[in-house]
Amino acid sequence: MDMAAQPILAVDGLRKSFRGLTALESVSLEVRRGEILGLMGPNGAGKSVFINVITGLYPSDGGAIRYCGRDVTALPSYVLARLGIARTYQNIRLLRRMTVLENVLVAIKDHASQPFRSLFVRNRSGGVAAAMALLEQFHLADKADRLAGTLAYGEARRLEIARALAGKPSLLFLDEPAAGMNERETEELAATIRTSHRLVEAIVIVEHDVAMMRGLSDRLVVMDSGRKIAEGNPADVLTQPNVVEAYLGTDGADD
Amino acid sequence: MLVEQLINGVVLGSMYALIAQGYTLIFGVLDKLNFAHGEVFMLGGFVCLASIALGASLPVAILVAAIISGLLGLMIEFVGFRKFRSPDAHITAALSSFAIGLVIIDLSQKVWGAEPVALTLPGTLQTATVSIAGLNIVVLRLAILVISLLLMFVLYGVVVKTSLGRRIRAVAESPAKAALFGINVTRVNQQVFFIASAMSGLAGLALAVRTGYANTDVGFTFGLKALAIMAIGGMGDLRGALIGGLLVGVLEALAFQWGLGQLADVFVWLFMIVILLVRPAGLFGTLISKDVRA
Repeated sequence: MDMAAQPILAVDGLRKSFRGLTALESVSLEVRRGEILGLMGPNGAGKSVFINVITGLYPSDGGAIRYCGRDVTALPSYVLARLGIARTYQNIRLLRRMTVLENVLVAIKDHASQPFRSLFVRNRSGGVAAAMALLEQFHLADKADRLAGTLAYGEARRLEIARALAGKPSLLFLDEPAAGMNERETEELAATIRTSHRLVEAIVIVEHDVAMMRGLSDRLVVMDSGRKIAEGNPADVLTQPNVVEAYLGTDGADD
Repeated sequence: MLVEQLINGVVLGSMYALIAQGYTLIFGVLDKLNFAHGEVFMLGGFVCLASIALGASLPVAILVAAIISGLLGLMIEFVGFRKFRSPDAHITAALSSFAIGLVIIDLSQKVWGAEPVALTLPGTLQTATVSIAGLNIVVLRLAILVISLLLMFVLYGVVVKTSLGRRIRAVAESPAKAALFGINVTRVNQQVFFIASAMSGLAGLALAVRTGYANTDVGFTFGLKALAIMAIGGMGDLRGALIGGLLVGVLEALAFQWGLGQLADVFVWLFMIVILLVRPAGLFGTLISKDVRA
């Protein structure tokens, strides 16, 4: 099989509704190996629902999700995490009562299938070295022993991305990583995301910040009312009339 | 003699601590009380009795008791807790585990009767004494103390240092977040139940060997006392269970020393009430509620 040609993620006709309200109406898209895909759209467009269904938080009502050619439509989130689909959350979710280092260690792959061997502290030093290397890349090494709950906002965001990368995923979803950040923090974040891109095969970013998306994304997908309304390179997509119209209505108000 | 009574108290306290540690571990991780925990303790004594009767040596009986208690813990997790994950299911889980405990008592009484059954080990292990600084101390009691402390030390090390411990603490903080970190929460719950129940069974074995009897009544009394110890030490805190257990053991021994043995239980409950009035979260507790948002 030609691995390069096969998309890392292929979503076909994904549907989801909540008590009769349609959140996703047959959304199809591909994530290609090596790319950063931007996913934009006004509030209520279905971006977050889309990510949540893909990553196993909500069951889908129809359609198929294929990851590396394998059907993963009905798998629970922790299995998807082990298969290599990682994500971050709009509201940061760290283990606040554990240290920065432990947050990464917990997420490091190798514990999964060894219920009793993990008792015997094997792999520990190797895990710590890998975790510290990751923290180094995200400029958090000096805070390794602090409780995650004490980090500043930007640091916590970096740790969350580092944590997501700890399991050596192939595909990384970032759900509104710049939410609540000022311009300088957003620039730092873009650098962090570029660092991350070297460690994974593909990244999907959901974000409102148009400038950041234009700068980072290889391709953009725009959603509105649970449907995909545009797809292509950022410069083209952002000037499409239906995209401009979809955004003018709500003018990028955050949720 | 006061010193001897204090030693007895510490030995008794170490058994209390051992059962309370498992209780508090399960509570810390699941946020729910396992009311069958005391009956796992009780059955530990009978498993030892049965193993010895079948010709097993004491070390083998200890191993068998630990494994059977652990497996019983897996059964309790599956029947009493697996379906009641929601934070709102406290009462359902409490009732179902309580029911499991009653079933264990009832079945045990069907097999072994309601009266205490003598458990006599071959050799002189139950009576041998050693003289330390002019005191005659039963070797078995010292062994129970040392092994209990060792087990608790190992458990603490596992929770603080190992990857299993990190997963346990992650689930304790938030099962939802732990799942996001790629942790199989059900598996961690099973591991916690196995470890906690094995410790509880070993504590029951220690009691049966020390007193020379296995008794279907002890699960209820020790289970209740372990609850008091948890409250005294701080719910879900391993150090609290250790210190609380030792304190309660010593308190009871002092009650006997002062000729108030019949009031020993009253002392324990009064002690708990006083501690909770002064420190509502217990000695080590913080009353931080579990992070249920994520």
